[in-house]
Amino acid sequence: MSLEDLREALSKIVDATDIFPRDYQKDGCVLEIRAEADKLEAVAEAAREADFFLECITGLDFTNGLQVIYHFNAFSNLSRVLVRVQLVRNQTLSTISSIYDAAIWYEREVFDLFGIHFDNHPDLRRILLPEDADFHPLLKDFGKVHAFRSTEEIYDEPDA
Amino acid sequence: MAEKELAPGPRVRLAVLEEVLNLCRANSLWPMTFGLACCAIEMMAAGASRFDLDRFGAGVFRPSPRQSDLMIVAGTIAKKMAPTIVTLWEQMPAPKWCIAMGNCAISGGPFEYDGQYAIVPGADLIVPVDVYVPGCPPRPEALIQGFLALEDKITKGEKRNVLRRFKRSIVKNR
Amino acid sequence: MTNQMLEPITEQTYYLNMGPQHPSTHGVLRLFLKLDGEYIVEADPIIGYGHRGHEKMAESHLYEQFLPNSSRMDYLSGLLFNHGYVAAVEKMVGIEVPPRAEYIRVICAELNRISSHLLWFGTYVMDLGGFTPFLYCFDDRENILDILDHVSGSRLTYSYCRFGGVAKDIDDEFISATRQFIQRLRSRWDDYHNLVTKNVIFIHRAKDVGVINRELALRFGCTGPILRGAGVAYDIRKAEPYSVYPEMDFEIPTGTAGDALDRYMVRLQEMEQSLRIIEQALDRLPDGPIKAAVPHKVRPPKGDYYFAVESARGALGFYIVSDGTSYPYRLKARVPSYGNLQVLTDVLPGTLVADTISILGSIDIVVPEVDR
Repeated sequence: MSLEDLREALSKIVDATDIFPRDYQKDGCVLEIRAEADKLEAVAEAAREADFFLECITGLDFTNGLQVIYHFNAFSNLSRVLVRVQLVRNQTLSTISSIYDAAIWYEREVFDLFGIHFDNHPDLRRILLPEDADFHPLLKDFGKVHAFRSTEEIYDEPDA
Repeated sequence: MAEKELAPGPRVRLAVLEEVLNLCRANSLWPMTFGLACCAIEMMAAGASRFDLDRFGAGVFRPSPRQSDLMIVAGTIAKKMAPTIVTLWEQMPAPKWCIAMGNCAISGGPFEYDGQYAIVPGADLIVPVDVYVPGCPPRPEALIQGFLALEDKITKGEKRNVLRRFKRSIVKNR
Repeated sequence: MTNQMLEPITEQTYYLNMGPQHPSTHGVLRLFLKLDGEYIVEADPIIGYGHRGHEKMAESHLYEQFLPNSSRMDYLSGLLFNHGYVAAVEKMVGIEVPPRAEYIRVICAELNRISSHLLWFGTYVMDLGGFTPFLYCFDDRENILDILDHVSGSRLTYSYCRFGGVAKDIDDEFISATRQFIQRLRSRWDDYHNLVTKNVIFIHRAKDVGVINRELALRFGCTGPILRGAGVAYDIRKAEPYSVYPEMDFEIPTGTAGDALDRYMVRLQEMEQSLRIIEQALDRLPDGPIKAAVPHKVRPPKGDYYFAVESARGALGFYIVSDGTSYPYRLKARVPSYGNLQVLTDVLPGTLVADTISILGSIDIVVPEVDR
């Protein structure tokens, strides 16, 4: 099971234009995939088949929507893969906790800090903030931030 | 003794016996294990082999609040944790004292800024604090100085030596 | 008329709260346990009692202003977190770190790793009931803290690494103290093994307790000594080499069964490997500057970056999204204890409450790191 197997499996799921090789020395990942929200479970299945583990799930808040970032990695050298899912506000995402148990807590954290709902999550409740909190702190319109930008300002597209 | 000016205390004044009792209480303070964050490690180091707290009578860290008479709030107080701290404080039987150890317990420390949503900036907002030990984290020697300052406060009340610059003396300047 | 009897109670279970104030939970962790007598049916770790909002703080602070935060996340391996954060920003900006600074960073990082493992060792055995090794370990640990205090000014939460190098140079006193410490710690291994490893009570409480195999570790994303105890030789220092680790000769100790005893042995052997790395680094220490010239406020180019280091608990990652200004747009710390703690939901059911203490101790978490 290797990175090549994963790349091949992924090319069957998403368009070839959405798979970008990246320079590990520069940004720490070897591959980046842009996936639509409905293709996410297939991508996670492919990663699981290729013996990758889920390293991290993060959220990002932009003026033109939210993004959820998944990092997958394998127990071998230099194999970090980044999966980027672009969402509009109030869009829900399906959970991958049936494939990776690690996602249970990571998705709870993204829900807690960003307010993104995950469909079919077994236990979606707040994890870091008190249960009765009514705000999502890492959204850019809460508290004090330096900047609130759109994706075009940060990511110069196209990247291939 | 000019102790009537103090805030509410026991109705029965026992003069010399009370001083003896205060001496006993001061020299065997039993802290509760209450480390919240980084300062907990320095508290453990103060109780460990090099900076032995046991020689001050305070080495027995009790896990249960019912058996302890000193609560050392060591670390940042998150808003989720604050009700627990108040519950534990109320479960401790009197006489009880509180040391706020570290900058976070005194005033929020390095985490207090005007967009902070998650912490309570200071232990004295929720429990009455007797001694403040600043530092981030304070060295174990600083915590020991805080203990000695608390012992002074218990035995001498308002006449205590605030800066503890001089040697501690039991029979002096009554 | 039927004689309505009360329904017999079939539910034998009850709920017990372990924490958030508990002597053995190593911080403010709350374990919500559903118990059947002494056996655990369900375990739910509840975290968040130490949440301080580091990631939100990063969005309104300069990159330099976040440096003290980095070592307060996991205060036991503060220098390793420092190193990870500083190296992540240096990679973004493209700063070349002088070799002397890299060697100093590695020496201090490995000293920090040893002090973290020593504290884990002392508290783990103390949780199981043996109080004496705790005092031995803290004695050894004080030596390391003296050395690091001499060079960085702080015993626990260091901000010693700076963008481009380190803050202050090391002198001969540091080098001789470190060499003496290496000899002293090597002479202690026999003491520790005789006191603890060969102790039949300890073996009964740690052998075959809390088995985490490779499959479980992969599903939960566990890294660090848990993964190595399960037999997988995955260490970021070898898999994604950074700093001067490629020039160092060290091994990755692994276990076989993945139980608490294996994790314990892995950590003890890791301490010995760290001593080897420190010796090699001291022998090869070059002369030169200790800090490169960097602008007053760093401004990384736009984009997102991930940088991973091996902290004392596992694979630590900093994921930084930059918008071209001197304030991060988003900073996410992927902490090893987050995945490591979650494995408890699968490992605890079926065990005794007393085994919970042993399993929790052998996983070695630091709760403020989980809560950030």
